[in-house]
Amino acid sequence: MNIPLYMYLPIAGNSVNMAAILGLGGAVGLLSGIFGVGGGFFMTPLLIMLGIPPTVAAASDSNQIIGASTSGTLAHFRLGNVDFKMGFLLLAGGVAGGCVGVRVIKLLRALGNADFLINLTYVLMLGLVGGYMFYESLQSMRAPKTSTASTKPARGESSYQRGLRNLPWQMDFVRSGVRLSVLMPLGLGTLVGILAAIMGVGGGFIMVPVMVYLLRMPMHVVVGTSLFQILFTCVNVTIMQSIENHTVDFILALLLLIGSSIGAQLGTRIGKKLHADQLKILLATLVLVVMGKILYDLLARPDVLLAYAGGH
Amino acid sequence: MRCKAILRFVSAAALVLSLGSATTAQAGDAVELTIKPDNIDISASYRGTVLHVEGLAPKGSEIVARFTGAPADLALRQKGKVFNLLWMNLGTVHLQHVPTVFLVTSSQPLARVHGDELGLAAVHNGIKVQEQMANDLDLAAELIKLKQQDGLYRETTGGITTAENGRFSADLRIPSRLSPGTYAVEIFALNEGSIAGSVSAPVSVKLVGMPAWIDDMAKNSSLLYGILSTLVAIFGGLAIGLLCQSKGGAH
Repeated sequence: MNIPLYMYLPIAGNSVNMAAILGLGGAVGLLSGIFGVGGGFFMTPLLIMLGIPPTVAAASDSNQIIGASTSGTLAHFRLGNVDFKMGFLLLAGGVAGGCVGVRVIKLLRALGNADFLINLTYVLMLGLVGGYMFYESLQSMRAPKTSTASTKPARGESSYQRGLRNLPWQMDFVRSGVRLSVLMPLGLGTLVGILAAIMGVGGGFIMVPVMVYLLRMPMHVVVGTSLFQILFTCVNVTIMQSIENHTVDFILALLLLIGSSIGAQLGTRIGKKLHADQLKILLATLVLVVMGKILYDLLARPDVLLAYAGGH
Repeated sequence: MRCKAILRFVSAAALVLSLGSATTAQAGDAVELTIKPDNIDISASYRGTVLHVEGLAPKGSEIVARFTGAPADLALRQKGKVFNLLWMNLGTVHLQHVPTVFLVTSSQPLARVHGDELGLAAVHNGIKVQEQMANDLDLAAELIKLKQQDGLYRETTGGITTAENGRFSADLRIPSRLSPGTYAVEIFALNEGSIAGSVSAPVSVKLVGMPAWIDDMAKNSSLLYGILSTLVAIFGGLAIGLLCQSKGGAH
């Protein structure tokens, strides 16, 4: 059978090499399965390089992430890595935060220089989070097993931990093995929702470190729960974009999806074989690479001083 | 194939309206045009095409062939330096009379035959900037660079053959990045730096088959389209998840 290699995408208004799209989907799905991040950060710019308009690239990517995160959530669910209770609370916060974030961005735009603030916040955030994760996991990988064991309880008694215990409405999160106030996931979810809306990204890059360091959830459960949440966020984005801007290219999403779902399955298996510290240090590297790219874009003179409206 | 051609008078040349390749031109001062195909259907397998243009021009003239999209208004983000250090979007600029597509090819380099005004320079001169930001950036030139990167603007030499008797043929490469709409093929005959004749014909580009169906649904039943896209993604993800499990076996 003669399978055509190129296909015309009506919403994107261009024809694409299907093998390239499948491969791209696979690579991003792999990252998503290992780390529990949506991968929009890599996917959108690469799609633009393949000739897809920025708005269509971002919206179709959200559609694709639905598939990849469904596939990834299923794989993690089987491994017992999804904390639904925590996921729903973070999600509730995230939705509220998203609404606040949209208002904040309007306010910033009205004040002027919003893009400057957004980019700067992003670089600082990624730099801090990535740097801290990298340092912390490097320390714990280097330290002999016995000393890690002895430092852990000491860290557990920090003022942060004591403050957490004094919050009202404590609840057991069995999957994550933690006892926390309901206010924590709700509040942090809201915060991430606000940031995600302002920066125009899914929030996986921020949510994962928040769950690891502030909610003290085990790394593997973090990945599964994060995927579960991303699923809902992207359903919302896909439907909204379809209605308001007609920018979801269903065929493009489907091609990406086939690649990314397979990648996500593979990623979950790779992730399972990795030690939590290795997983953290790899994610930290990824976060730092993304930061480096944004920083480079800010400092280097662009080839063309005009851009189509609607990209990141 | 039937061919429609619209004719324009330019300078002193008498132009002949041609219908299909059956039309024969009279004397040497007419430009005649046939285009194959005379419209472009975009199906799922479309990945750019070549328009073949044939005709008769005044003897000894050089040929300039253009494929252009209708001019439109465009809003773009302008980048600039903040605090003398960081490059970022400074704001939105509005440009008017921006052709969606502008592809030019000529039998000789435009500069050599004094035909610069027919090339990208025409776009540059035609674009109107609605409000200029507080710097002297040549926005039209930046726009041309941007469109050239996308393959939507192009100025090349070649693809045109001319004969002693004034017959010419030109192959216009049409990019894969093309939206439905009406475009124009224009032929200019240049003689010693002046336009000896010109003719233009519309080429309609439309979606057919699956792309047409998807485009219609996305625009006219957008809620349903969004929900369906979501459901397909969820079931696709589930199906692949289940498939991988049965293959993996061990879990």
